[in-house]
Amino acid sequence: MNNKFNIVYLLIFFIFINYSFADEKIKRIDKVSKNLRCLICQGQSVYDSQSEFALSIRDLIIKKIDEGQTDEEIYDYLKVKYGDWIIYDPKLDKNTILLWSIPLILFIFGGLLIFRKVIIIK
Amino acid sequence: MISHLGSYSLIFCTIFAFLIILQSAKLIGNQSKIFPKKIYTIITLQLFFVIFSFSCLLIAFVSSDFSNITVYNNSHTEKPFFYKISGVWGNHEGSLLLWLLVLVLFLFLFILDTKNYDNKYKLLTVIFQEIIILGFLLFIIITSNPFDYIFPVPLEGLGLNPILQDPALAIHPPILYIGYVGTSLIFSSSLAAVINNTVNSEWAKQIKKWVFLSWIFLTLGIMLGSIWAYYELGWGGFWFWDPVENVSLMPWFCLTALLHTILVLEKRNALKNWTIVLSIATFSLSMSGTFLVRSGILNSIHTFANDPSRGVFILTFLFFLIFLAIIVLFIYSENDKKTSNNFNILSKETAVLVNNWFMMYFLSVVLIGTIYPIFLEVFTNEKISVGPPFYQKLMIPFLIPFFIFMSFGPRVKWINDKLKKINYTQIIVFISSLIIAYIIFTNSSVSYLFSSFLIAASIFLVLNSLRDFFSKSIQIPQKISHFSFSILILSILLNGIYSEEFNSNMKVGDELKFIDKTIKFKGINFDEKDNYKLLRGDFEVIDSGKNTLNFNPEIRIYNQPVISTSEADIKTNLFNDNFIVFTLLKDNEIFNVRYQHKPFMIWIWISIIMLAFGGTLAVIKYGK
Repeated sequence: MNNKFNIVYLLIFFIFINYSFADEKIKRIDKVSKNLRCLICQGQSVYDSQSEFALSIRDLIIKKIDEGQTDEEIYDYLKVKYGDWIIYDPKLDKNTILLWSIPLILFIFGGLLIFRKVIIIK
Repeated sequence: MISHLGSYSLIFCTIFAFLIILQSAKLIGNQSKIFPKKIYTIITLQLFFVIFSFSCLLIAFVSSDFSNITVYNNSHTEKPFFYKISGVWGNHEGSLLLWLLVLVLFLFLFILDTKNYDNKYKLLTVIFQEIIILGFLLFIIITSNPFDYIFPVPLEGLGLNPILQDPALAIHPPILYIGYVGTSLIFSSSLAAVINNTVNSEWAKQIKKWVFLSWIFLTLGIMLGSIWAYYELGWGGFWFWDPVENVSLMPWFCLTALLHTILVLEKRNALKNWTIVLSIATFSLSMSGTFLVRSGILNSIHTFANDPSRGVFILTFLFFLIFLAIIVLFIYSENDKKTSNNFNILSKETAVLVNNWFMMYFLSVVLIGTIYPIFLEVFTNEKISVGPPFYQKLMIPFLIPFFIFMSFGPRVKWINDKLKKINYTQIIVFISSLIIAYIIFTNSSVSYLFSSFLIAASIFLVLNSLRDFFSKSIQIPQKISHFSFSILILSILLNGIYSEEFNSNMKVGDELKFIDKTIKFKGINFDEKDNYKLLRGDFEVIDSGKNTLNFNPEIRIYNQPVISTSEADIKTNLFNDNFIVFTLLKDNEIFNVRYQHKPFMIWIWISIIMLAFGGTLAVIKYGK
């Protein structure tokens, strides 16, 4: 009796685990494909597009995830193959240091200007 | 025939523009209070000929006159009447003619509006505005004449891209252009005021209704484009951080900053140079928007036709105008050091500066994100993409302080305010927003620490804006606009956090589970309309409460040009939008189906309309 119960319990457990794995996997595929540009479309992501290219990239993502690669490894693989153009989220490197820093520098600069203009009266 | 008339009127307009500039320059020294009759007449004539020219193009479109190349390229006899009209500005040449029409019309209205003002200021404004008009006229005549003809005359036109055949997109360009072009008048009149040495409260009072007017149209114009993207592109989003969307957002940030600064100039006669800089920047951004869209250097979903020589022309012209503005500022601007005094830390002046600080920061993020890839490619030949993650990472963290500042800003008094030791209402508001944010988050599956702070901050803003309704010192337009803005922000955030989507391939008869819902694909049927064939899907979505929603999204195949589009079916109510769109994959059997559940979608549109309504009340008030 007890044994049977355990088996059922284990079964449910495994189904549950498999289910959530599948769920996680879809979420990961969506997340990765939303961050990729469909190279043959105009301004569409791989997630949004139904073009041959986008479908093949999605298959590739599924394959890579099944091979146990991380998101970063998938991005790196695609970057080598297609160039930085394919990734929507530009990495911080020597090419993009100004891209990321200029707005922040301007914000600090603006803050300083206001600070100079303002005085405290008690 | 009609095309020739249109073409000749544009040449007349060019001659008038020269005449007006020369005559105005001659009459500037004249001390008379009455606006020179001669110039008024020529401006009226110019307006008449532009309207005439525009009507010629309109008639050519409506009568499907395919001897006109613009009509041939963008129209078709079977196109519905409404889209024949909107086809006039649905293309590059026609849209520039519309730009021109609004430019001239606004100058005319400006003259009528400033009856009692100094002649020198008015004439200078006329000169600057006519320089812009002249630039656009030459641009149209040299690179993009809408009245070029084609021989032999084709029997049928090529048709308008079907995704542009849409009511929201039909009125989107005129509305957006009124906003853009309105900024040209702010530009011209601010340079005139600099030369005339009248950058003061008086000028601020006169120009601010133009600032508000441009802002209202720009706001509504952006919204219409966004609504269109939401239901027509079928990806369920309403903002994609696409370059073409970004270029319309940039002047908006600048104009919003100006909208607040101009009030400081009016009330306190301060921030003169800064107001002028903002006026110039707003117009430059509107112009570069046109340049970036038309030059084709942007890779975008919205780029439909482009030609590099046009880009070069606009860029040269833009640089000329900016150069002109800098020279004017350099020669004429008074030394701000003498007149400027510092602001107290607790004053409305400082609050407006803080608003400007954030607006300029958001502007710089969007500006850098949009143009950086272009420059990088030019200099290093490397292509990068700057997409939504970049904008989100740089903007979202700054929203929390922005919301908090905005919660307090409106109630701060001019010149010098006092800080109360303990403000009990504020503590109550603060605690209530934390509690509401907590309730929202415990009832949801999502729980990120950061988003909960963000939501709490935006609820804090909503509650404070609500509280402002009881304040006597704040004016009604401001109350409405600030409150609407807070609702807009809250709806966008809740929508972003709680949107759910399901994306899968299905065959007819399939039934799939998605969270607590079941999606059934019951069937498809075929139909034929005037200018397209369609495939209508029949879907049913059943939620956990056994409520059923039926959806009939369509796949349309247009005849002219042959393009297929997906029409989403959206069920809207006050709390959420449910959205199904499907596309054909292979063999007429497998379809890609996307179902989306988007909470508070309608509130995004309602709050933007309310925001613009607040602005309209302000214009009515200031117009008196």
